Order: sequence, then C-alpha cells, then structure tokens
Amino acid sequence: MSKQIRNIGVFLAVCYAALFVQVNRLTIFQADELKDNPANNREVERDFSSPRGSIITADGRVVARSVPSNDQYKLQREYPTGELFAHVTGYFAFELGSTGLERSYNDELAGRTIDFDLQELSDLFVDRERVGDLTLTMRNDVQELARQELGQRQGSVVALDPRNGEILALWSFPSYDPNALATHDFNAAEQASNMLNADPEKPILARSYQDNFFPGSTFKIVTAAAGVERGGVTEDQPDYPARQAYQPVGAGGRPVGRPIGNFDGATCGGTLFPIMEASCNSAFAEMGAEDAGADAMADTAQAFGFNQDVPIDLPRPAGSSFPAAPEFENDSPKLAQASIGQNDVRATPLQMALVAAAVANGGEIMTPHVVREVRDDQGEVVDRIADDDVWTRAMSGGTADLLRQGMISVVQDGTASRLDNGLEGFEVGGKTGTAQIGSSDSSHAWIIGFAGPPGEAPSVAVAVIVEAQPGVSEQTGGTVAAPIAAAVMRQALEQPAALSGQESGDSDSGEEQ
Amino acid sequence: MIGNVRRNTELGLLVLGTMFVVGAYVLTTLPDDSPIPNTTGPFLAIIVGLPLLAHIAVRRLAPQADGMLLPLASLLNGLGYVFIVRIDEARADPDGLAGLQSIWMILGVGAFIATLIVVRDVRMLERYRYTAGFVGIVLLLLPLVPVVGRTINGSRIWVSIGPVNFQPGEFAKLALAVFFAGYLWEKRELLAINRAYGPFSLPDPKHLGPVLLAWGASLVVMVSERDLGSSLLFFTLFLVLIWVATERVSYLAVGVALFAGGAAFAFNAFGHVQERVDIWFDPWGKDRGFQVVQAAFAMADGGVSGRGLALGSPTKIPVVESDMIFAAIGEELGLLGATAVLIAFLLMIGAGLRIAQQAARGFERLLAVGLTTLLGFQAFIIMAGVTRLLPLTGVTLPFISYGGSSLLANYALLALLLRISNDSAERQSDALAAQSMTEVGT
Repeated sequence: MSKQIRNIGVFLAVCYAALFVQVNRLTIFQADELKDNPANNREVERDFSSPRGSIITADGRVVARSVPSNDQYKLQREYPTGELFAHVTGYFAFELGSTGLERSYNDELAGRTIDFDLQELSDLFVDRERVGDLTLTMRNDVQELARQELGQRQGSVVALDPRNGEILALWSFPSYDPNALATHDFNAAEQASNMLNADPEKPILARSYQDNFFPGSTFKIVTAAAGVERGGVTEDQPDYPARQAYQPVGAGGRPVGRPIGNFDGATCGGTLFPIMEASCNSAFAEMGAEDAGADAMADTAQAFGFNQDVPIDLPRPAGSSFPAAPEFENDSPKLAQASIGQNDVRATPLQMALVAAAVANGGEIMTPHVVREVRDDQGEVVDRIADDDVWTRAMSGGTADLLRQGMISVVQDGTASRLDNGLEGFEVGGKTGTAQIGSSDSSHAWIIGFAGPPGEAPSVAVAVIVEAQPGVSEQTGGTVAAPIAAAVMRQALEQPAALSGQESGDSDSGEEQ
Repeated sequence: MIGNVRRNTELGLLVLGTMFVVGAYVLTTLPDDSPIPNTTGPFLAIIVGLPLLAHIAVRRLAPQADGMLLPLASLLNGLGYVFIVRIDEARADPDGLAGLQSIWMILGVGAFIATLIVVRDVRMLERYRYTAGFVGIVLLLLPLVPVVGRTINGSRIWVSIGPVNFQPGEFAKLALAVFFAGYLWEKRELLAINRAYGPFSLPDPKHLGPVLLAWGASLVVMVSERDLGSSLLFFTLFLVLIWVATERVSYLAVGVALFAGGAAFAFNAFGHVQERVDIWFDPWGKDRGFQVVQAAFAMADGGVSGRGLALGSPTKIPVVESDMIFAAIGEELGLLGATAVLIAFLLMIGAGLRIAQQAARGFERLLAVGLTTLLGFQAFIIMAGVTRLLPLTGVTLPFISYGGSSLLANYALLALLLRISNDSAERQSDALAAQSMTEVGT
C-alpha cells in the first residue's frame, strides 16, 4: 500500500513538473510570439493609458501631447495644430494603430528606450513620468507658411537644411485632422478613418514623402550631373544645336522612335548653362542618351538616392525610381525620355528637395530627418539624432559647384526667375519642371531650389510640386511653383527668435488652451 | 511533544505567510495617490485573524496534527483573496466579489473548525460510509433536479435553494472519498482476487461492478452536467483508491482503458466535448479559445517576475476570478509567482501523502490518499487547462478561486486530513508512552 502511495506522489510530481514546464513556455519561451499575436492588444492598451511624451517643433509649438481624459484610458492624445503636422506626427489611435512619428518613435515617446532604463536605476524612488518628448527639426512658421502658400491645391512643399538633413517643412495638401482618429469614441474614429480612406484625394497619404510623381525637368539636374561626371560635359561644351526636337538614334545612327520636342515648339540649344536656363528638352535628351549613356544615367540616379530606401525617420517612405541600365538596351527613346524626367522615372517631392540639397551641399546628401532630439521630462536631452550622417554622395564637389552655378543662372536668367522674389541679398539657385501627366494636357508644376547668404553654403533647399495644373508649358513650374518655394525659403532664412523657445515647449501650448 | 513542535512550526509558517499576504494586499489596494480605503481594516482583520483562529482551533482540537497544511492553505487562500480584491478594483466594482469572498473565508474557517469538532475520530466516518456514498450520489445528481438545478456558464452544476447558490459537487467529492475509502477497504480482499486470462491477470468480472458503476456515474456527470473536470476528478479518485486498496495494477489498466473508451465515446457523441478538444489543439481561431488565448497572453505579459501586483489587466481574461485565476497570478507575479503556487500545492500533496503513509489503519490511509488526490489533482486539472497543457475543464483552483462551495469543501477536506494526522500522531505517542512504561516496568 505504501508503494502505491509513493507512486501517486511520483505521478502528481510529474504532473506538476509538466505544469512547470508549460508555465515556462508561456511566460518565457513563447512570450514574444504571444505578444506579437495580432489578437493580442495588451501592449497597445497599456501604451494607450500610459503617459506619453509631447512632440514639439523647433520653434516651440506643441504639435502632439497627451491630456487627461475622464474615461478608462485616463489620457487622450491631442494634436493642437490639427492637419498641419498630421503627416509628420501621424496619429496614435486604439483600434487604428499608429502612424508617423507616433509609430516610428513609439518607444521613445512611451519612455521605453535604453537611455531611460539606465536612468531609471538612479531614479528608482523618484516619482517621475518617464516619457520622452520629441523636439523636431521642423519649424511651425515654415510649415504654416507652406500651407498658406500652397493653399487648396494638391501638392507638396518640402524644405530642408542641405548641410545637415534637418527637415524644416514637410507639407502636402490635402491633409487630415489626426484628432478625429485618435478620439476615444472608437466608432467615430472608425467612421472618420473610413471616410478618409474612401476619399479619392487620399488625405492620409503624405504626398511629400509617401507618394512619387514624374519629376519632369527638375530631373535634368541629375542628367547634368551624369553628363558632367561621365559624359565629358563642361561649362563650355558640348554646344548642343539649337533645334525644336531631338531625334533618338538607334544602332548605326538610324532614327528610332518619336522625336522629343521642346515645350511650345520652342527652339533651344547651347552649352550647359543656357540649356539649364531654358530647360531645353532636346539638349538634355541628347546629353542623357548619347553623352552620358544608360550606365552613367542609372548609376548617377542611384547615387542621388533613386532606387534606394530612404533613411528618413518617418515610417513607410516611398522610394523614387529610375529604370535600371539594361532596360535601355535597344531603347534609346526610353533613355532620352528618362533623361528629362519622363517615362518610368518617379520621384518623391522629398527626393527632389534632396537633389537640390546635393547641389547645395557639395554633392553630399545628408540623411533627412524630422526629429532633432529626445528629451526627458526634465528637459534633458537623452538622445540626439545625428546631423552629420551622409546618406549618399550624389556627385563630386566639383560637379556640384558647377551645377550650383548653373542653377543660380537659371534663377538669374532662366525659367526660375521668380524663385528669388523677396530673397534679395541671398544667393538663390533653382530648376523648374513641368511633368506632363501621360499624354494629357495637364501637368505637375515643379520647382527645386536652394538659397543662402552669398559665398556661404546654402542653408535651405526646397522642392515644391503643384499637381495636375492645366496646360503643359515650361512656364508652369516657374509661375505656379516658384513663388511658393521663394516664400518658404524666405521664411526659413529668417531665424525666428522663437527658436530658442524650444527649452520650454509648454509655454507655447498655453495659447491653445 | 511532537504536537508542540508542530504547532509552533505551524504558527511560525502562518506568520510568514500572513506577512506575505498582508504585503501583497497593501501593494494591491494602496495606489500612490488615493486615501486608504475604509474597508482596509476589516479586510486586514480577515487576512490576519482567520489563520490565527484556525491555528488556535487546531491547538485545541487536533494538537498533534501536521503543521504544514494549514499555513500552505491559508497562504494560497490569502493570495487568492488579494487577487479577488485586485480584480474588483480592476473592474471598478467596490461592491464586488471581495466582500463575499471574505464571508466565504469566514464560513470556510468555520467549516474547518466545525469539521474538527464534529469528527473527533475518523473511524466514525467509516461507520457512515454507505450513508456518505448515498449523500455523495444525491449531491452529485442534485443539479439535475428540475426545480433547484441551474445551469451557469454552460455547466449544470449549480443548485439554488432560496437565495443561496452552491455547487453540490464540491461537497459530493468529500462524501465520495469517504465512501470509496470505507467501501474499498472493506472489500479489498475480494476485489484483489485476480483471475488469469492467458498471460493477463484481470480482476474477477463479478467484482468489476463497482468500477463500472463509478465509470458510469462519472460519464453521467460529464454528459448531463457538462462538467468534464469533475467527471475526470471523480474517476481518478476512484481509480487511485481501488489501486491503493487492492495493490492490483490491473485495476489501473482496466480503468485507463475505460477512461480512454469513455473519452473517445464522449468526443464523438457530444459536441461540447469535441469543441473543448478542438480548442485545445488550436485555440487561435476567431472567437474560439478566447479564454485560453487570453490566459496565454496574460502569462506572456507576465514574463519571469510578472508585471507586478495591480499592474496587469486581469479583466481581459474571462472568468478570471474563479477558473482562470491562475493566469492572473502568472500575469502579475510572473513565472516566479506561478511557480510558488505550484510548489505550495506540491508541498500540500507531499504533506497529505505523508499523513497517509503514517496513518495506522487502512481506512484512514485510503481516505488521506483520496483527499490528497482530490486536492492535488483538482489543482492540476485547472492549472493545466489554463496553461493549455490539457483541454480546459472548468473546476476551481482550491483555496485560490472565488467561490463559497469550493472554499467550504476544501477547508473541510483540510480539517479531515489534519484529523487523520492528529489521530495517528496521538496513537504513535501513546504507543511510545506505553513502550516506555513497559521499559520502566522491567
């Protein structure tokens, strides 16, 4: 009998050992898998009712913060500037998830990063909200002006500092109000989301960095870089013949495909600067197709950031694309069209701002970013985003200098003459673009450019696109987009006194209440 | 002598356990900024007072009994109580279950003391084995009686008489343990006769009657009351006892075969059994194994050391206050806390089986084995269900889960074990005294 009793003990001990193993599996070995299960919303729920840092612009405007709410979640996320920074902050919603900085900096905002944890040891017994506030590189004044200037036209404005990749403005219209999605009334949030998603103008999509377009003539800067670096193009030669159109040629010099004409049937030609000033299609088509060639064009586009992942600190950026060299084999018309930013070339407005930035910054493109630093609740900087990170070298310093001169002459004597409106005393360079949408008679009006004190490295680069403008004329970019870019650059070059206001991010939030 | 050591050990352990429970209670109920709730006084009195009261009763009524069981039970009971308080708080329900649970705890300790008083000698129970058997069957089948029986959460295991709801099955298991122990001890010699069938030796078919009866009864419980857990528990209890009584492995073999057959039959014949098993294999489908999935998420959140008391989200787990409470413990106290619970039950099993080994008489040994099996196996069934080691079958986690019937029955079970332990210790010291008397005499 006692043997049986002992065996029962052994049996039950085995049962409990199995139980112990199973508890280990659940709490440790399968824990990550269980936490990642889509049905598991525990972490979201926890974040949702936890303190969360604010997002503050470089000039001290609070664009996202958590305020007390009277419901079970205790805190309501709020976006005091509404649609203005929606494409940057994104939203922090319960069932819809989160986007924008709320997503890419979730751990910092929630105070979960290593820097905080280390600090925690010393602060173990101090009652502090361990959350991180984000200070942006973006400026409320520049962003606000971009919105005002673009008005009710579909399009984007990107302004950044070419020297360090700090983004100053990143606006696209239409935008949306993130407050409608972050509300704790989940039915209302879902309705708002459904409406936004059904909107054919896609207000949730940040056109500035999550969508791409034909870059049109603004792409000629890339073509020029390829021509100068690998096609023997200098300031003085070749001297492209004055003509109305360029006829692509195939093997043996036979004409292939349709000729590529200048806008409005204009006649143009000449050396590098004159053809930049006139934005001469026939000349750049020949430069890309014959002087540079497929390999140089594809390589240079890639060096500028095309076909690469964009290392911006915002989630889901769209890439920009340029066809691979083999696609041009036996298809010189395609190469000629790609050389003027048509055919299969696509670029985000952000990418085109970086093209201008590359010229302004001696050929180097700095890693673009919208967050400057993470601060703890005491205002101490716990993490600083590097501002000396080179994303890609687009071209040599010499090429960049030459193109910089070329772009300045485009403003002084060419199609971008309105780009220096109100920028007297600054050195301003630019390039217009008109990207025909298919074979329709509407086009995207583009401008890219830079500005800065004479003789110094330009401190602002811009790209502006106004989508789907009526008519297809080289004038469109210069007349429609250039004034917007000029105003934005002027604002950016004015160092507002409020920039020092970043120390006390809350001071500005007062006016909202 | 041994009584003193045991009682002092018991008191020391009780103080340790109570300190832990009080600490946990304070952590759970006193958030940083709110004032001390006015219920704190009475709650603390219950947490501290009840174990002391039980201890004093043991000193008076069973002074030589084992000193481990009561501290372990009161630790588990206190821990469960803290979690029920905590669940109330998470539900923002100040008039929730904690107040009722404290009444059940008072009644539970009352049942503990009453059992010690009424059952002055376990042999008395042996005399009433058939009465116990009858009472057990009646209690088991009571929920099926039309007027009083009630179905809650899909199981017809409840009885309502006036305002009082209770689960008679919790008491039936005690009565059946008494009956099985008495009956099997009485018939052990008959039952032990084996007959050879070629190389196999099996029990004589005419003695298989009781086995088949127990099997049939547990099938009835499973089918008519949809109570898989209790059905498994009763059948296991019977098998264990017939095996210990007869020392014949053949009964185990027959029993396991019957169980397998019954399980296969139930799986094929009854949708709810099949559903349980399906969910066990794959709980992830939409709206399928919501309970076990939430329990798994909770435990994954717990990790090694848990999220901390009052810092988890226990209300996301369905029926967290009773069947699923182990998951809440895993979430807030982590692997460490859950393991502590496992160890506490294992120690209780060890103490119970030691009592069985030390008991001088067969009936007492069988009863101690039966009671220990009930406690240890019931805890295993539900914890294994919660962690998906076995299909989930709804039984309470002894001493921890919310519930009056369960607490009362388990405190009575504890009292019976202590009574058996006390009696054998007394007999032993009597024997020692007699021996030393004889020695002096020579």
